Amino acid sequence: MSEKSKSISAKKQSTNDERLKKVSNLKVLLNRPELGALGGSILVFIFFGIVAGDTGMFSAYGALNFLDVSANLGIIAIAAAMLMIGGEFDLSIGSMIGFAGICIAIPAIYWGWPLWMSILFAFAMAVLVGYFNGILVVRTGLPSFIVTLAMLFILRGATLAITRLITGRTQVPGLRVLIEDDPIAWLFATDTFKWLFTWLGSMKLIELRTDGTPLATGIPPSVIWFVALTIFATWILMKTRYGNWIFASGGDKVGATNVGVPVGRVKISLFIGTACAATLFACIQVLDAGSADTMRGTLKELEAIAAAVVGGCLLTGGYGSAIGAAFGALIFGTVSMGIFYTDVDTDWFKVFLGAMMLIAVVFNNYIRRKVTESK
Amino acid sequence: MKTLKNFILAIAAWAFMSVSALATDVIVVSHGQANDPFWSVAKNGVDSACKDMGISCKYTAPGTFDMVEMAKLIDNAVSQKPKGIVITLPDAAALGKSVKAAIAAGIPVISMNSGSDDYASLGISAHVGQTEFEAGVGGGQKMKAAGGKKALCVNHEVGNVALDRRCAGFKKGFGGSVDILGTSNDPTEIQKAVAAKLGGGYDTILTLGAGLSGEAALKALEAAGKVGKVKLGTFDMSPNMLKAAAAGKVEFLIDQQQYLQGYLPIAIFAQYMRWGTMPAGVVMTGPGFVTPDNASKVIKWAAQGYR
Amino acid sequence: MSENLIEFNGISKFFGKVIALKDVTMKVKKGEIMCLLGDNGAGKSTLIKTLSGVHKPDEGEIIVEGQKIIFDSPKDALDIGIATVYQDLALVPLMSVTRNFFMGREPQKGIPFFKTFDIKKANEIAADRMGQIGIDVRDPSQAVGTMSGGERQCLAISRAIYFGAKVLILDEPTSALGVHQASVVLKYIVKAASQGLAVILITHNVHHAYPVGNSFTVLNRGKSLGTYSKKDLSREKLLSMMAGGEELDKLEVELKEMDRISKN
Repeated sequence: MSEKSKSISAKKQSTNDERLKKVSNLKVLLNRPELGALGGSILVFIFFGIVAGDTGMFSAYGALNFLDVSANLGIIAIAAAMLMIGGEFDLSIGSMIGFAGICIAIPAIYWGWPLWMSILFAFAMAVLVGYFNGILVVRTGLPSFIVTLAMLFILRGATLAITRLITGRTQVPGLRVLIEDDPIAWLFATDTFKWLFTWLGSMKLIELRTDGTPLATGIPPSVIWFVALTIFATWILMKTRYGNWIFASGGDKVGATNVGVPVGRVKISLFIGTACAATLFACIQVLDAGSADTMRGTLKELEAIAAAVVGGCLLTGGYGSAIGAAFGALIFGTVSMGIFYTDVDTDWFKVFLGAMMLIAVVFNNYIRRKVTESK
Repeated sequence: MKTLKNFILAIAAWAFMSVSALATDVIVVSHGQANDPFWSVAKNGVDSACKDMGISCKYTAPGTFDMVEMAKLIDNAVSQKPKGIVITLPDAAALGKSVKAAIAAGIPVISMNSGSDDYASLGISAHVGQTEFEAGVGGGQKMKAAGGKKALCVNHEVGNVALDRRCAGFKKGFGGSVDILGTSNDPTEIQKAVAAKLGGGYDTILTLGAGLSGEAALKALEAAGKVGKVKLGTFDMSPNMLKAAAAGKVEFLIDQQQYLQGYLPIAIFAQYMRWGTMPAGVVMTGPGFVTPDNASKVIKWAAQGYR
Repeated sequence: MSENLIEFNGISKFFGKVIALKDVTMKVKKGEIMCLLGDNGAGKSTLIKTLSGVHKPDEGEIIVEGQKIIFDSPKDALDIGIATVYQDLALVPLMSVTRNFFMGREPQKGIPFFKTFDIKKANEIAADRMGQIGIDVRDPSQAVGTMSGGERQCLAISRAIYFGAKVLILDEPTSALGVHQASVVLKYIVKAASQGLAVILITHNVHHAYPVGNSFTVLNRGKSLGTYSKKDLSREKLLSMMAGGEELDKLEVELKEMDRISKN
């Protein structure tokens, strides 16, 4: 063995011994960005389990309800998280939800288009809007905060103006009947695992209606999409070259460009991602409610960003995870619905939500400092 | 790690002690947030009724005017298996599925404030509120009794079904000639539009929103020196219009008395829980007329949050 | 002159009326460590930015391996083999050693459209290359933020070399480091040069530059004060050239005067 490698292995031995004292397994696990959010979720469930355990919150019907809220938020939170990791924000997500909604509804109801065509049209518009956001940010170098804030207003205004111009009102109802025969719509509107709930109902394991059928009929489409999107986003971030580029673009834009990462292309694609996620959200909502409304999605971008941050994403970019954002959305959805099961006056709702966010973020920050400490 | 553990234990202890959850008797799901002065009064009605009736209630509302979120809250309420659910029904199409699920689960539902046209088709037991057309009729009749012959109905959102109905009802109750003035919802524009019409020989003006068009029309009248010569009435209430009524400048304000919209459904459910009684149809909480005679009392009560 | 790997002949750069560089000439051979010295504001930054393709020279030419080259962007310089390690290192502290090492040039495996980042292979290579420098990376998936400044500097250099740098330009690599860490980095620089790279080391610290440098170019207010090889130059002479030697001498005389007056 050469002198050098002998000294390395000797050094390794001694440092290993020191290290074993300091680093417990728990700490190693906590180094992952999503573990903070997982811990937060468990905390929230324990809290509501104690406080609202027998109120029906965790009955099949009640649980599916807050899972549906979480899943819908999760869809946009994951996209927002990926964009945040890439170093940018999209404040226009909420307005895009409203815009996408009328892109689906107006052609279908007023122009006689088949529903599947309207849905594809909405996604095409999403690509355009996302591309526009991305190009603006990349070319001008302006903070995405400002650019997408402007788009928030533009899209919301356009949604209102165009809808009233064509329809004279601010809501477009009548979509429910169109879902049945449509080749695509069922993807966004079908409950799954219905057989499971029917069986559970027949075994009297879950709540029943007065006519004997179970109250909870199936898993909402949002949950399936949410899970699929989480898996997809995690695969991209962790296992692909493109994912490494996302981290690099957010971590050090200039440095990444200098080593050959196509930062501009990455960012533009991420903006297209958030716009499409908003459209997916809108699609599910519009088909569920049977109508589009110009005010849908208001403030949702803030919730998406909050869920991403609670899930461990750094506001400054370069760090975070999709699974974390998924748990962040789960926390949000559970708390939003959970407070209505307690006797706490709902006037305190926002205080509650804000406090929870603060705790989660402080916790995550503590974890992250451990990661970047120089040893 | 130790501080973390202590932290968790502290939260759990606080949770046990401070926050309990007993089954609620009546859950109210409204589209009106409590930070809206109008709905704050309704919520006070709910809270008073609960106390008076000796039952437990909850008032819930989505953070923004979002029908999808509201439907979720109705589902949320259903999972708690209350004795009754009270809702507002601003969009029967969007909320219908959840309302029907509630009724299918065996929970009776009463609607309030909005939805007087649609409530019955969803299986809702009764509706508590002010129907727009009838309120308009009441206003028209009152103006007719005050001697009005030629009226202007200022509609700041033509196409909004509720508002259109108000003018239509007013026309029926008034009997004389009624012209509809459509405007935007910009107060300055409304004021100018009304001022432009003042040369047309109108002796009566009805506006559909106190704070917005009512105050704008009043300003137009004051600028033209026509207060008192042209009778002004308005739907709904605002602090400035109330003061003007107390000063005799406004003929009446049409108060839908949202306090009752919050109070009565709770009272109804309390009796239903005891004796199975339920009114049939619409229980009208308006039009309640606030005139120069009772305006000062109403101002006092409004300051306390009951009108 | 093709024994020179890279030559900058008569380079000038103007920013409006400001003369950042005037007629600077510098030649570096394979395996040579050229130290580019000068006080703050001397023009070192501008010179390396011109060398690495960020700026285009207004006068003069750049010759690489005997061929005249014009860079349109930093990517062009990188493609030819001129790698610049700036002070911020282009490392993301929150990302792992491996991810930083292969940033922008990640190895892939798998079928088209479903290609994945071959992290396993990347981890092996990164750990191996760092081990060659003498840095034992315990876990290549640990964040770069957990490494010391000197280790990070070596990572950046190792990355540049792995991806085929022929000319290595280092901008103040030791200025933020303690003595021990600086020596680790300097040792690595010497090793890199011995493997055939031409190294241009920019620094204002003579005590770091003198031991490792083969040749020294001193810049003062945009002009070159000449290139000297080590055997023609003593450390003191170098120091005085950098700091403006006559001014220091004058200062010393004045201080002696003041001392004498106060004693009387």
